[in-house]
Amino acid sequence: MKTIFEKFACLTKSIGSTSAIGLLVFCLFACLGVSEAAEETRNILILNSSMATEKYALAQAEFKARFKGANFVDIDLAKEEFDEAYVKKIIREKKPDVIYCIGSKAYVLAHEIAKENTMIFSMAINWQRLPMGENTYGISNELSTGMQLMTFSYFFPKLKKIGVLYSKTYNMEWLKNTEKDAQDMGFEIIAKPVKSPNKLESALEELLPKVDALWLISDPVVLSDQESTLSIFQKSDAMKKPVFAYNEAFSNYGALLVIEADIPTIGEQISSMALDILANKKIDERVQAPAGSHLILNMKKVKEYGIELNGEAIGSANRIIK
Amino acid sequence: MIEQIKFATLRLLEAPSFLPRVDRWMRRARHLLARSSRAMAHAPFVCLFVAVALLVPISVKAEDKQTIYFFNQEANINNFASLKLEFDTYFSGLGGYQLQPFNDSDIFEKTVALKKDGVLLLSSWHYKKLKEQLSLKAVLVGVLNGKTTQKKVLSAKKVADTQGIRAMKVASAGSKEYTRNILEEMFGSQGNEFAIMPVPKDIDALMAVGFGMATAALTSENSLSNLENINLKQYQQLKQIGKSGEKFLMIAAIPEDTEAGNAPLLGMMVKMGATTEGENKLRMLGLQGFRALSATEKEALSK
Repeated sequence: MKTIFEKFACLTKSIGSTSAIGLLVFCLFACLGVSEAAEETRNILILNSSMATEKYALAQAEFKARFKGANFVDIDLAKEEFDEAYVKKIIREKKPDVIYCIGSKAYVLAHEIAKENTMIFSMAINWQRLPMGENTYGISNELSTGMQLMTFSYFFPKLKKIGVLYSKTYNMEWLKNTEKDAQDMGFEIIAKPVKSPNKLESALEELLPKVDALWLISDPVVLSDQESTLSIFQKSDAMKKPVFAYNEAFSNYGALLVIEADIPTIGEQISSMALDILANKKIDERVQAPAGSHLILNMKKVKEYGIELNGEAIGSANRIIK
Repeated sequence: MIEQIKFATLRLLEAPSFLPRVDRWMRRARHLLARSSRAMAHAPFVCLFVAVALLVPISVKAEDKQTIYFFNQEANINNFASLKLEFDTYFSGLGGYQLQPFNDSDIFEKTVALKKDGVLLLSSWHYKKLKEQLSLKAVLVGVLNGKTTQKKVLSAKKVADTQGIRAMKVASAGSKEYTRNILEEMFGSQGNEFAIMPVPKDIDALMAVGFGMATAALTSENSLSNLENINLKQYQQLKQIGKSGEKFLMIAAIPEDTEAGNAPLLGMMVKMGATTEGENKLRMLGLQGFRALSATEKEALSK
């Protein structure tokens, strides 16, 4: 401290006291400016496809809880008054640093009217079909297939032959990648293509006797309507073949294990991603898979089918159906 | 204020008959309003009456049962509804007991400080933090695979140097505070430099590293060895870059001078692991049983 004063005294002698004090005041203001900039409040626009959808509302709440100190503007696109013109106006007025889009509808709109802005998204089903801008980042809605397979293995180590019904149009590429992952984990994937919804019954009859379990995937040809879903579960149940599924809705049909992405974890990931973007940090992967799973285990089916369950895995289930 | 509302809401929800009771009272209030032409003028009094009537029976109800207050710093999994249902169903045949799980440490701490009864089920780290403040006494310890302790390990695909640690994103099922504490134990002040990504369970943390969402996973040693059976390839890719000392599994603690009153509940908890049904419930907490703490173990926990 003494040295600083000595240096300041020297400076005063050489440039004159008025100039030196002026310089000191300037430095103080500059320092204050820097600290203010570091704590600069960010403007974040949240476009939610529909707050009435429980998962979307949860995603928004989780994000806001983790992203402290920002100025939020929330728009619920399900409300009639919030049309495209209104969203455009808000973007023009608020100049958001980041637009957070929850659900596909919000993302598509934001991409149409503000693709130059930095955008992050979550809860968008099959994000691969969405247009991607240069400044777009997100967390996918679907868990990686590897994570799903590992979870099957963790709960039911003896179920190794997994049947999959798929259509070549929608899931050919997915199947190729999944077969590779499955092989690494000692699974055998037995896949049966379904050309059209009316071929579902025969495909099921052919596939079920060959497998230990059926893995239901998101495929519009296989799951064309409620009737086809019902048929899959009824036929599997008649043969005591357990079904793994990807959405909570299937737990009502009798799925043995439902594996979904955990929304609070997505909230953690997307807020961390937003902070990195705002701090100009490099983002290695522009769209990341969810890092946490939400599991529903049907113990009724475990007992009914006499399936061997890894006891240690029970603690990992979020919900147990009895 | 928000905390108070959360706390009050929690107390209301503690009562199993809360929702039917609300429905009943609302119907009565509507009936009253319909009958009286001066109902609007009386509306505030009706509301006050309903609120008071709701709160009085709840406080009586909550005292009816002996409670296990549960909060786990070591897992972020949201399975509280299932836990409550499963444990309370199991307890219903054994006496007036109930499980009250919490997902917020503040509310947990405020509740147990207020109630000063029942059994607290918490991590040994959390117990050490609260024991003085709440005058707690550790009585039981959880058992898994015949052991009452576990080590935490930090696993990654690459061994990092000092610079590398700063860039590491650690997936952990523990709370951020708990995770940072363990990382500090492993790496000293450098432990503060890791970015932490909370995930629900140990298996998620390990998979997050395997599939590239995180660079390291902080899990129990047991969870890491489980990975060998689930995905050998991923297991072989991981290297242990840090290891903690032995930590006790979950601790059951009671407020001082409540031993006699809690003896039946503690006895029942010890017996749980002896039956398949009881063990299945304990599995939901990541345990197989409980046993009494030895004098040496109590001594270790008092430090």
